[in-house]
Amino acid sequence: MKNLARRSAAPVIAGLVLTLGACAQGSASQSDAPAASGGVTTVRYFNFSANDGHEKDLDQIKAAFEKANPTIKVKIETTPYADYFTKLQTAVAGGTVGDAFELNYENFVTYAKSGALAELPGVDGSAYKESLLKAFSSDGKQYGLPESFSNVVLFFNKDLFKAAGVAEPTSSWTWADEQAAAQKLTNKAKGVWGDYQPISFFEFYKTLAQSGGQFLSADKKTSTFNSPAGKQAAQFLVAKSGRTMPTEADGAGTPDFDSKLFKSGKLALWHTGVWMFSGMADAPFAWDVVVEPGNTTKASAMFTNGAVVSAASKNKEAAQKWVTYLTSSDVMTDVRLKTSWELPPVADESKLASYLQAGKPANRQAVFDSLDATVLPPVIERQQEMQDAVTKELSAAAAGRKSVDQALADAQKAVDALLK
Amino acid sequence: MNRGRRWRNRGWVLFFLAPSAIPLVLFTVIPMVSSVWVSLHEWNLISAMKWVGLDNYTHLLTDDQTRSVFLHSLLYCLGYLPLVFVGGLGLALVLNQQLRGRSFFRAAYFLPVVTSWVVVALVWKWLLNPTNGLVNTILGAVGLPQPGWWTDPTWALPAVILSSAWKDLGFVMVIMLAGLQAIPSDVLEAATVDGAGAWQRFRRITFPLLSPSTFFVVIISLINGFQVFDQVYVMTGGGPQGASQVVVGQVYDLTFRYGRAGEASALSWLLFGVILIITAVQIRGQKRWVHYA
Amino acid sequence: MPESLSVESHVEPHVESHVASPAPAREAAPAAPGRPRKGPWLRLLTYAAVSLGALVMLFPFLWTVITSITPEGSLAGGPTLFVENPTTAAYRTLLETLPMWRILLNSLWIAVVSTLLQLVTGSMAAYGFARLTFRGRNVVFALYLATLMVPMQVLVVPLFIEMTTLGLQDTYMALLAPSIASAFGVFLLKQAVEGVPRELDEAATIDGAGHLRIFATIVLPLIRPALATVAVFAFMGSWNSFLWPLVVIRSPEFMTLPLGLSTLQGQFTTEWDVVMAGSVFSIVPIAIVYLLAQRHIIAGVAHSGLK
Repeated sequence: MKNLARRSAAPVIAGLVLTLGACAQGSASQSDAPAASGGVTTVRYFNFSANDGHEKDLDQIKAAFEKANPTIKVKIETTPYADYFTKLQTAVAGGTVGDAFELNYENFVTYAKSGALAELPGVDGSAYKESLLKAFSSDGKQYGLPESFSNVVLFFNKDLFKAAGVAEPTSSWTWADEQAAAQKLTNKAKGVWGDYQPISFFEFYKTLAQSGGQFLSADKKTSTFNSPAGKQAAQFLVAKSGRTMPTEADGAGTPDFDSKLFKSGKLALWHTGVWMFSGMADAPFAWDVVVEPGNTTKASAMFTNGAVVSAASKNKEAAQKWVTYLTSSDVMTDVRLKTSWELPPVADESKLASYLQAGKPANRQAVFDSLDATVLPPVIERQQEMQDAVTKELSAAAAGRKSVDQALADAQKAVDALLK
Repeated sequence: MNRGRRWRNRGWVLFFLAPSAIPLVLFTVIPMVSSVWVSLHEWNLISAMKWVGLDNYTHLLTDDQTRSVFLHSLLYCLGYLPLVFVGGLGLALVLNQQLRGRSFFRAAYFLPVVTSWVVVALVWKWLLNPTNGLVNTILGAVGLPQPGWWTDPTWALPAVILSSAWKDLGFVMVIMLAGLQAIPSDVLEAATVDGAGAWQRFRRITFPLLSPSTFFVVIISLINGFQVFDQVYVMTGGGPQGASQVVVGQVYDLTFRYGRAGEASALSWLLFGVILIITAVQIRGQKRWVHYA
Repeated sequence: MPESLSVESHVEPHVESHVASPAPAREAAPAAPGRPRKGPWLRLLTYAAVSLGALVMLFPFLWTVITSITPEGSLAGGPTLFVENPTTAAYRTLLETLPMWRILLNSLWIAVVSTLLQLVTGSMAAYGFARLTFRGRNVVFALYLATLMVPMQVLVVPLFIEMTTLGLQDTYMALLAPSIASAFGVFLLKQAVEGVPRELDEAATIDGAGHLRIFATIVLPLIRPALATVAVFAFMGSWNSFLWPLVVIRSPEFMTLPLGLSTLQGQFTTEWDVVMAGSVFSIVPIAIVYLLAQRHIIAGVAHSGLK
């Protein structure tokens, strides 16, 4: 499949350049470096996950790959997550996107359906955790390879629990246990909060699953979250705000608010991802993690990033070799585990053993236990609009501007409109 | 005018205008024309463009969201312009006097203009924090109501306006200072000799002679005000519940987050129409009050 | 519509008789009302108000500096006035993680070049609009202004496609392209040129001076305050520009300051002391540019050589 965007938009704009009398010295030539020079192919790879701390780790994987494949050079371009998709989309539109790039699962479907991705032939699926591999296929075709995953667990401040004389959370906790403990641990006079869980799309789809609900119908044509389970989930989240959890007016939702709060020892329970482990390693108090409490059932949020090959690439074969290495090699597994850089998506869990001893928190086993019941975010073509709509309605309910029922009904209306 | 002179005149026009006209055509007008083309399509930047004719425009014109974002941009301008203009002019007048350390003061007032919105937004969110911010603490101490600022749909836009006016005071001040410098001092001295008081001199001489600068500030502030984006993006992200979403915020979201670049272009052209009309009206009206030397 | 946008400049000013005879050069030109006689109380009040205001204006910058020297971990909550254990750790981290000098040099180079270009293109166009008469002048000026009325956010994608078509993406040229000329600068300078008494041109014309000489020796020196103002804003525009460099640059060697600073913000957490140290790096050069320009903005008339 050719890059359709480039075929349709670029000539029009190029035509304008010419007709309006510009000096189109380069005419329509792309300045992309020639694919192969001296028998060496250069693969350009765009990513966001190496930004802010893991640049060297990615370089290490790249060096190992180049050593194993002397005829391929990899050129890495790293952009911070916040700006990555702006840059990526523009590059696709202009036909200058790299040979391979990184996509998070939430955005994968949009790209796959748009024809921007190359199908990957002959993938050895046995290397990957099956559910993750499946996440990066669309209409039965493999368009990407899982690169890493992470999940959400319940962090807790041991010292606060001890001081308040409350029993520490266990993996058998339910929502009711969490609510009761959070209530006891909240001490507004001292600025100590019992709980923190963002009121957002991502927490909602998970708590919905914990209540046994479904976000979308099986055919993905209508939304099904405005159900008794959905109301329970939304109510659970909304009721925390202001009672056991800081409100937006207290600062919730501002950058790093929750991590600062936890690290300063003023937050007892915290729903967040394993990516926070390294940031909290030097916290001046004892803390640990457990599997998140469930409602009628257990469900842990899972996030995954994948590596894909651009449909416009002239070096698809080399690009696929690189993304295969990047997602399944032992070097990659090793580097990721050693640097706590999310988890490798490998099928063989024995390879992950060293992760359990990689430092704080003690109960790293909870990360793997969570995998017994994970739930990926619901994904549609108009993903971002759906996420924004759901978050907007839920936060209106949290601020008391709407009833939970009303917020869910409005969210349902908005999401259904996006599914048409 | 004979033919030779006319051609020579044309040559001069070309000589003086071409250096700016060529880059503007190449790097602004061509993209503008292209965006008209884009506005007639459905396009998510990553797949093929699909011709939809005027659908984007008709959809926008019937969408409540369009009305709401235009209203917010308009309210922003209405709040921002008087604040920043009166404040900036007053500041320029004060700092144009013989004042010890005025260079320092001028620099101090200009510093926020050059500080990035990311930092300024952090500071203002802290100052305007509903529960423990400095502003509400002071309001509470004097017994005034304490609004929820950026967490409250009614107060989010005023919070943005307040911080924007604060940041841009120095901008207006600098333009006005440059304008004040162009006023010949003997005119004012002559008026003083004739017995005109300070207010008289300001009203009859300074303000009329500043009118080209005033005109510039009003036009540019409105053109920029209707395109307000950065501060909204970093302070409220358009929230809560879209209560501070402005036109360009919507354009950005549509283009880069929602994959609706065609609609974003169409929305920009609607905005263009509004700004053009407002600017045209002002240029028309300038004869009545703008005095050039 | 074109007629409606007429930008007429032949208006009788109220104080024409005074303006018509250009003032001789003077030491600093105090245009302020009421300078000579002012009560000491009013003066004191002015000082107090101006100082208080300055404090409010300086506050964010002070906060930035304070945060940048506060050891990580004590950042929670609002700002503190006294830092217990000030440290330069954030600056060291900054210099280690980013090639700061290279980045500063890039930003400086782009900003200086685009400022110079805008001064040249802008002042020439301003002279053209203010002093040359030609058919369609008002329409052309309206078109210039129109280029300010479409948000950059929507032009970025077409401009990027144009750049790749021209083979210019990922070059200094591409970074510079949208800021070679700006209608903002043209407009501000045109207002200033309109303020230069025409009698001066006419006298020079009688002396046999052509447009180029009038432009260079009469108009330019007289609009120095406006030129300095445009310089400040052109420099600032380039210095803070984010979206366009983000999209058009992909090689780290062309990275500009805002791009570099954005990489300090992580997907999940941010080290604010390092971000603030980066902000100090970005504010100081512009503040210096402003201080340099300020002398010209203020001293413009006094040294204009109006002889």
